[in-house]
Amino acid sequence: MNVHFKTTVALLEGIVADLRRPHPFAAERAGFIGCKVSRCRTGTLILAHTYISLPDDWYVDDQRFGCVFNSQAMRAAMQFALTNDASMFHAHLHDHSGLPWFSRPDIRESARYVPDFWNVKPMLPHGTLVLSADAAAGLCWYPKAKKPIRISTITAVGCPMRFLGSTF
Amino acid sequence: MRGVHIRQSFLGEHTEELFARIRIGVVGLGGGGSHIAQQSAYLGIGRFAFFDPDFIDVPNLNRTVGATRADVIAKTPKVEVAERMVKSANPGAEVWAIQTEWQKDFDSLRACDVVFGCLDGFSQRAQLEESCRRALIPLIDIGMDVHKCDPYSISGQVVVSMPGEPCFRCLGFIRDKDLKEEGRRYGVAGGNPQVVWSNGVLASTAIGVFVQTLAPWCRIRTGSRFIGYDGDAFTLEHDARLKVASQAQCKHFTNIGDLGDPFWKP
Repeated sequence: MNVHFKTTVALLEGIVADLRRPHPFAAERAGFIGCKVSRCRTGTLILAHTYISLPDDWYVDDQRFGCVFNSQAMRAAMQFALTNDASMFHAHLHDHSGLPWFSRPDIRESARYVPDFWNVKPMLPHGTLVLSADAAAGLCWYPKAKKPIRISTITAVGCPMRFLGSTF
Repeated sequence: MRGVHIRQSFLGEHTEELFARIRIGVVGLGGGGSHIAQQSAYLGIGRFAFFDPDFIDVPNLNRTVGATRADVIAKTPKVEVAERMVKSANPGAEVWAIQTEWQKDFDSLRACDVVFGCLDGFSQRAQLEESCRRALIPLIDIGMDVHKCDPYSISGQVVVSMPGEPCFRCLGFIRDKDLKEEGRRYGVAGGNPQVVWSNGVLASTAIGVFVQTLAPWCRIRTGSRFIGYDGDAFTLEHDARLKVASQAQCKHFTNIGDLGDPFWKP
């Protein structure tokens, strides 16, 4: 199964700008992207539409991790999914050049909270993205799947078009 | 074959690989679409989805690149002529030759990274734009007309609808009154005059816009575009409506419900 994640360049730039803002105590920021889904001949398209930025006070001061968010953040993302029939993707930034990848805590924690979105939208895929300055990688949990699959292509549509994903 | 694209290496170090992996859709393989197919193949585009239900007929032979008299006799589908032409320039290309209306194969359309619209009529264009916007696909539309006016005048356009930027309606390219007028004249239009040189100018410009979107060779960065063609004076000019439209957000494709497939199932 191929999963192609698409966003507009403008939305991507807005997300990166938000994730780059320093936080009073958290080492990194996070956010959620509300998406729609479509079938295509080569697999599934995840189509980004809305970015949910997390206010400073939705972060938890836990120095063991780069970023921990509280239940309000999850509630806001789940409410968005429910209201808009949206597929939700968590996003964070490793601000270097080249292809990023998830740390072990990233993978462990996302495997815990991403399936929570099935409580509100059980028939949609949800997932997580890690962005860098010029690339991106992602994992997608299909409904009822225990393990995520790697997003095969990540594209930012605009001028110039940016092909951020790992297999492009 | 190594070195085929060496003289376009100024487009960037990884452009050859990018072109080989990208998939373009061409909707309508007549006068304009056949030029698009041919030039894309020479560029090194590696994946194609061609949509056209028609066969090659005698009136197509004045402008459809690659079509022959033998194709008229054999009733060769236009998509097969395009496939043959692409493979003669780029034998490794993957071609989906879809001999049906594009509306009957959305799955293939949505798999495209960029779509070229080479259609007649505003209604078809409006439908194609909506489908492309649903899948965040840039749409590059070309079209020309020969108007009867003392004695004739040729005009045309290349219009780009880039997701997140002004759309055909924002640009004033598609207007309700044109759609209504087209609906009123439905079935009586007949075959519009078409000529190979104007098709070629517009298709070449569209290909240039496409390459600039993927592999910009200069500092100009524009997503949506509206380039008007004066086929009497042989000039191409940016339409002033783009500047106006760019100052406001698109109001026609903003909702989350405008994206994706509402009936998607895993």
